[in-house]
Amino acid sequence: MSEPDPPVILIVEDEPDVAETYKLWLQGDYEVRMGENGDEGLELLDESVDVVLLDRMMPGLSGDEVLSEIRERDLGCRVAMVTAVEPDFDILEMGFDAYLSKPIRSEQLHDTVTNLLERSEYDSLLQEYYALVEKQATLEATKSSAELAESDRYASLTEEIAERRESLDDALGGIEDDDDFIATLRGLSNGEGK
Amino acid sequence: MTGKENLVYDVLADGAESGDGAVVVTTSDGAASVVEEFRDRVPKLRGAQLGVVDCRGEGGADPELIEGVSVHQVSSPGDLTGIGIGITKALEGLHDSGRDRGRLALVSLSTMLTYTDKKTVFKFCHVLSSRLDAAGYIGVFTIDSGAHDQQTIQVIKQAFDGLIDIRDAEGGGREARVLGLANEPTDWKRI
Repeated sequence: MSEPDPPVILIVEDEPDVAETYKLWLQGDYEVRMGENGDEGLELLDESVDVVLLDRMMPGLSGDEVLSEIRERDLGCRVAMVTAVEPDFDILEMGFDAYLSKPIRSEQLHDTVTNLLERSEYDSLLQEYYALVEKQATLEATKSSAELAESDRYASLTEEIAERRESLDDALGGIEDDDDFIATLRGLSNGEGK
Repeated sequence: MTGKENLVYDVLADGAESGDGAVVVTTSDGAASVVEEFRDRVPKLRGAQLGVVDCRGEGGADPELIEGVSVHQVSSPGDLTGIGIGITKALEGLHDSGRDRGRLALVSLSTMLTYTDKKTVFKFCHVLSSRLDAAGYIGVFTIDSGAHDQQTIQVIKQAFDGLIDIRDAEGGGREARVLGLANEPTDWKRI
């Protein structure tokens, strides 16, 4: 069996020194791509990118413009805004999944990236959980309770659903704070709706 | 007002009587009538004890204040991120006024299901339940069982710990029973 591919992080940052530093910190654990401005960032962006670190203040396309293009393309990646000023809650309303204020420490960067990857992981676990629940619901809607009580398939499905529910709540620490909550909900709306 | 709505307002009012926070996420009633319903039930209600998330998409983007109750506007019942932000702000407001536990009502899932599919609504309920759990809140959601196929009801049900069934009682009035919190459904009780 081969190792799974590492998650892909795209850094969009106009200051080369800063971008290099982030890359140094991250390259041991992730595949890192770097764009020097918004246009380059968008060129490097495809389905394989998991997390984008996006500098807000850049010459040319601003971070906000790059973000709206990312959401427009419906790529499902998570976007952390990197900013020089401490933002307020409006950042989440603007469509970012997290923010980091400069100067950023290595540990902080790793924590944010890990958390954003966990949000995506949570969403795919939720997706699998839903698939089971839907199967169970179909059985419940089409069979009598006597038939369900007899059905081994129904029993094992019910058991599996209970286990999944536990692991959803435990494995990723559930939904601990507001940022997690909003970022997870945004994941549901991105490409998951109709 | 339907039996379901009456019941969820009663559940929230019961908590508010003893000082708990209350949040109402509404897809049909206007914020002003939500506040009025609450005042009728809890005359001593303090404005800072209640938060309303109005998802009808009729208000502006700015939060407003109705009789001291903060109202957060959401563009549509299908805007899940917007609803999440509204709930977060409402919880923050309650937290700031020293209320660290309470009850949240969402009325109704049936409206949300006309805006988005059952998979998304199911996931939304799961994520919201998890958030409420961490925040020390109990969630009460309504759904009109007659408006959806049985499979949809069975799916949505799975996102919750329990279910209260409400029906018209013989000879008028309504009765209810609780399913899922114990092994067997409870007996029907008049409400």
